[in-house]
Amino acid sequence: MDRAQIPKILKSPGNWGRKYSLWAVYFCTGCGIIEIPPVITSRWDAERFGVIPMATPRQGNLFMITGYVSLKTLGAIIRTYDQMLDPKYVVGFGSCPVNGGMYWDSYNTIKNLDKYIPVDGWISGCMPRPEAIFIAVTHLWTLIDKGLADGYKRYKDNYEFYSQNQRRVLPHLPKFAGEYEAEALTA
Amino acid sequence: MQIAILLAIVLLAPLAVYLAGRLRSGARNALAVLVAMVPVVWLALLYGRTAQVDYYRLPFLDLTLSLRLNALGWFFAMAVAAIGLLSILFSVGYMKGKERLNFYYAAMLLVNGSMLGIVLSGDLISLYVFWEIMSWSTYLVISYRGGRAVAAGLKYMVMSIVGSCAMLLAIVSLLVRCGTLEIEALAGAMQGASPGYALFILLMFVIGFGIKNAILPLHTWLPDAHSEAVSPFSAVLSGILVRMGMYGFILIMYGVLGLGLLRRLGSGVVSFGYIFAWIGALTIVIPTFTALLQDDSKRLLAWHGIGQGGYMIVGIAVATPLGIAGGIFHTLNHCIYIALLFLVAGAIEHRTNGERDLNQLGGLAKRMPITFVGGLAGICGLIGVPLTNGFVSKWLIYKTLIAEGYPFLAFAALMGTWGTILSVYKFQHNIFLGQLPERYKHVKEVPFVMQLPILLLTAAILVFGIFPGIPLGAISAIQRSFGLEALQVGAFSVPREVGELNTIIILAAVAGGCLIPYVLFRLCRRSRSLPQTDTYGAGSYAPADRYQYSARFYGRAYEVIEPYVRDRVDAFYCWLVEKSEGGFEAVRHIYTGNVNTYALYILLCLAAVILAGLGWGL
Amino acid sequence: MGAVTMWVVGIIVLPLLAFAVSVLFLGVSRKVTARIQRRYGPPLYQPVIDVVKLLAQQENVSHGVVFDAGVVLALGGSIATVLFIPVGGLHPLATGGDLLVVLYLMLLAPLGLALAAGAAENPNASIGVSRKLILALGYEVPFLLALLAVMVHSETTSLAEIARSQQASVLGWGLFRVPLSALAVCLVLPAMLGLRPFDMATAPQEIASGPLVEFGGKYLALAALQGALHSYIVIALFVDVFLGGGANVLTFLAKVFAVFLAGLLVNAVYPRVRIDQALRFCWKWPALLALLGLVVVMVAGR
Repeated sequence: MDRAQIPKILKSPGNWGRKYSLWAVYFCTGCGIIEIPPVITSRWDAERFGVIPMATPRQGNLFMITGYVSLKTLGAIIRTYDQMLDPKYVVGFGSCPVNGGMYWDSYNTIKNLDKYIPVDGWISGCMPRPEAIFIAVTHLWTLIDKGLADGYKRYKDNYEFYSQNQRRVLPHLPKFAGEYEAEALTA
Repeated sequence: MQIAILLAIVLLAPLAVYLAGRLRSGARNALAVLVAMVPVVWLALLYGRTAQVDYYRLPFLDLTLSLRLNALGWFFAMAVAAIGLLSILFSVGYMKGKERLNFYYAAMLLVNGSMLGIVLSGDLISLYVFWEIMSWSTYLVISYRGGRAVAAGLKYMVMSIVGSCAMLLAIVSLLVRCGTLEIEALAGAMQGASPGYALFILLMFVIGFGIKNAILPLHTWLPDAHSEAVSPFSAVLSGILVRMGMYGFILIMYGVLGLGLLRRLGSGVVSFGYIFAWIGALTIVIPTFTALLQDDSKRLLAWHGIGQGGYMIVGIAVATPLGIAGGIFHTLNHCIYIALLFLVAGAIEHRTNGERDLNQLGGLAKRMPITFVGGLAGICGLIGVPLTNGFVSKWLIYKTLIAEGYPFLAFAALMGTWGTILSVYKFQHNIFLGQLPERYKHVKEVPFVMQLPILLLTAAILVFGIFPGIPLGAISAIQRSFGLEALQVGAFSVPREVGELNTIIILAAVAGGCLIPYVLFRLCRRSRSLPQTDTYGAGSYAPADRYQYSARFYGRAYEVIEPYVRDRVDAFYCWLVEKSEGGFEAVRHIYTGNVNTYALYILLCLAAVILAGLGWGL
Repeated sequence: MGAVTMWVVGIIVLPLLAFAVSVLFLGVSRKVTARIQRRYGPPLYQPVIDVVKLLAQQENVSHGVVFDAGVVLALGGSIATVLFIPVGGLHPLATGGDLLVVLYLMLLAPLGLALAAGAAENPNASIGVSRKLILALGYEVPFLLALLAVMVHSETTSLAEIARSQQASVLGWGLFRVPLSALAVCLVLPAMLGLRPFDMATAPQEIASGPLVEFGGKYLALAALQGALHSYIVIALFVDVFLGGGANVLTFLAKVFAVFLAGLLVNAVYPRVRIDQALRFCWKWPALLALLGLVVVMVAGR
């Protein structure tokens, strides 16, 4: 840590913490997850960036959507994203979340993740290499510094938009049955 | 004279309450509570006084029956009166709408009255009479519910009678040898007794009191009786009724035999004190680990009742000032928190239609917060968390065991704590924590008349834990009255020569320690409250009523522990009963129902008596 | 006047020291584990970053009063325990029977966490607590037997005196005077610290972090600090009882660091065992060794 950083840390310790301690929710959403174990093990060592996998969404603030998103997985992704605590960052990993990737004409996958949950950054490739993940992490740091990593704020401000999209593809999600906690998010 | 009047009131009250109940149930409830309050107030006023009153003179045996109030009697009488009052208060709410309530209240008051009689009696005949009254009135209340409760009551009755017979044998032997049964006089007469005779008397009394106190080979009646009895009475049963056995132990060991004679009973390892302490140690470990395996909330607590009795036995068997003080203090503490826990289990039963199965409950802390706090205080006391009363009495017992060089006993006592921690956490978790089942979504807290005993007992646990000097002062008086060395205690410290325990410092440390995280907590963003459905489910939604981990809570440990704590003693007794039933069936055939046979029996008996008279030259 | 100042200094310095050391150890643990795994790992001050992030979380969720109170009680109990353990020359609250007091104060923190975990309304949390308690049942048998051997050997139940009685020379350490008991405690030390092979209570892969499953933000910060303090307390107790305490704070911390490093090395290479395997293990060889140690002390004392 060089001394130039210290004034930045003192100005916003929260941002310093969020940048260098990105805890990824270890939810293997699709085939892209195959690239994550090499990233977190010895050869590419994500821990030196402060990124470690966490078991539950309550403890994580980085959500990497790796690989294609089938409708069934989308339900779990939405649930997991709702359970994470603000501020939370979503990174779409691979080509599938960007535009459907190699499953662009499937009936069962979604083509544009940004309509259902807010995404802060994309990493395209099929699969992206571990180095690409590290570049994405450093870009995320810059966004956090500038205050542009505000996907969670967009989610709360435009909840109607996201909720309608979610409801359109997943009408039977228990979230919309009324007993669950949806209303708190619109507060 | 005062104690005679007090005793007369509490013994006549059952009849009065029964008759009042015939008129109006409200009057009966009020009268019962009033009568239960009388001994509490009266005894509080009698603190520190001693008295003796002869109330009857038996013409044929030249014996005087008397009542006596001394430090030990006062201590136990206060406990009896207090627990009796709290359980009657609780009953007013718990038993609403049940049947045969006149009988129930009358029997409850009779039990309380006879227990008061036991601790206030000055000679062994009065003690025996009141003991018997207590035994069968207990049977009446245990079997009040009918069904399995009758079998449980019968088991209790049979074992209690065996104990009473042993006691009677000892009493008669003492009468023949010392010519008197007055306890003060007996103490003097037994000074010159031989160790062998003292051991015999002690063993008979140990059997009698031990069955009541449920020490290890004699404990098998307790789990059935305590779980089948009605909850307010379970509180009395487990809290103070079994400790009548403890009262008996202390009375005989220190009041009649005295410390000098006790020390002469054997030497080194093969001495009464050491073996008795080991019985206590086994009573701590095995029942506490059996409680781990129980799924019925009251059965779990009943096994703890047996287990904690072991601590008291170890304390008084070691016979040092710390040990005796610790044992007696533990008796008081145990009666407070086990009564509290049984009342908590009763409150849960009341609101969930009699549910005792721990695997069916859950999450009730949100709906019944006062009961939850009571349960929490009770389990903290049972474990011996610092700042509760259980910690102080356990600390005294450990200190004396280590100082006197009994590390294996200390180890047994310490492992008892860990068994307790596991089983009472299961109790608390399965009832109050976790997810609330659909069918209990609308349970309400128990009415105030049931909350009051729970709150009072919780307060007692904390007050006696932070200011142990209050009860320890009364206990020092007991030790001095037996001519034993007493502890010097301050309000909240046990002094330096026995290794200081200062509870105020512990309180300050814990309070200060909790202040720091609390401040940190408040400085951070305020938290949002979540419904119970919003919990981690690996991306899925928590299925209602099926997201609770309570069955086989310590599943993996059961396989390791279960082989060691199987109740082989109970199996043995049941086998004995089965085999004897065959014999009893055969004997029953004497009763043929034929008058001619009976006339023949009478003739044969007369002939035998005449022959015997001729033979002995009578 | 001097005594009171020492007392106040002790009360303030001890928890601060404990916090600083335990957070440093967290960082060291991640660095050393990384190095053993032939990678670089995070910087030494990474736990500080983590805690800052958690405390600065903009949203916290709670499952009720019991949930909140449990976490506060957990950390509070650990801080209270720290005040009673002598560190080098500092022991403001040490009194006669205080080894027993410390043993019982160490119950407050797990109780708080168990309550909070129960209130989390999640079976993963309940399973985690049940595993933690079973493990505790396992390691307490050899641990208590060993402590009793030390108490009988030193004829005292005061931690400060036990520590002082070992300071004559290195051979006066508990490690050499009650070797069997010390060996037994060494065998169960990973279980007491929650390190592999005995870290099944908080197994992220099996039960989603066990008791910590619903902890986020400030709750996780407090729980992490409590975990770190707990390790410090256990190791400090071990050093005071078996490694001769410390003539001053620096030697004490050096010994704590050495023990911690040893535990870390074990943690880095072992896999996790099942809870019943852990229970059986703790009740077999460590318990036997500790029992033998106690018998030896009793026999030799006669």
